[in-house]
Amino acid sequence: MKISVREAGPVKIVEVEGDVDLGTSPDLRRTLFEALQQAPKLALNLASIRYIDSSGIATLIEVLKDSQRLGKEFVLFGLSPAVQQVFRLTHVIRIFQVFNSEQEALESA
Amino acid sequence: MPPVDVQLKFILPSDPRYLPVVRATIAPLAAAIGWDESECRAITLALDEALANIIRHAYQNRTDGRIELECRQSTEGLEFTLLDHGEPPDRSKICARQIGCDQPGGLGSHIIRDVMDTVCYELTPEGNRFTATKRLRKTI
Repeated sequence: MKISVREAGPVKIVEVEGDVDLGTSPDLRRTLFEALQQAPKLALNLASIRYIDSSGIATLIEVLKDSQRLGKEFVLFGLSPAVQQVFRLTHVIRIFQVFNSEQEALESA
Repeated sequence: MPPVDVQLKFILPSDPRYLPVVRATIAPLAAAIGWDESECRAITLALDEALANIIRHAYQNRTDGRIELECRQSTEGLEFTLLDHGEPPDRSKICARQIGCDQPGGLGSHIIRDVMDTVCYELTPEGNRFTATKRLRKTI
């Protein structure tokens, strides 16, 4: 799994590539929590995720709940078919703000 | 000659580094048997979740536990058997999570039950045995 973080104005954008599983989700968790501390809004690009398991989804739920606690925004965009399928199986998609593109994610209030 | 049914056996440590190795085998196996891409992903995910449960709960994230995985093709589809020697599963916690809630834990066992046709947890003299089957639904 590869993770990178960049900025677009006040928003931190996290890009993830590869497999998010029990072995790699702690790295994703650490990166997301660090980025969330540094910006009022965090956008996660899921387009290049080849595989994600329930530990990855649980990580996203934890970050979402922390963002709500801090009064910040956490949004997702570019869900790959693999990610969409796991969201369907876990029935948690409705709790997230999901956008098709980076631009839409950045423009969301 | 009778058809040869595929049977694969893995013995692996309870180390998450080996999960991609299993996934890289199971997805093409499911495709070869006849499932489509989406079903292959789901079957692979369900098995991966079962292995992750053993690592996290049975072996409590120790990486030196032993896991035996057997994949057996049958006339109906595919059967997975997992055997471990860690803590037995707490049945009261399996699928205890409410569907659609915003709690992060307990998603894996729901995925397994959603994807597989049968799921069975047994405590045997050899260890904790998990068996799951997936039927291949043939279209005419």
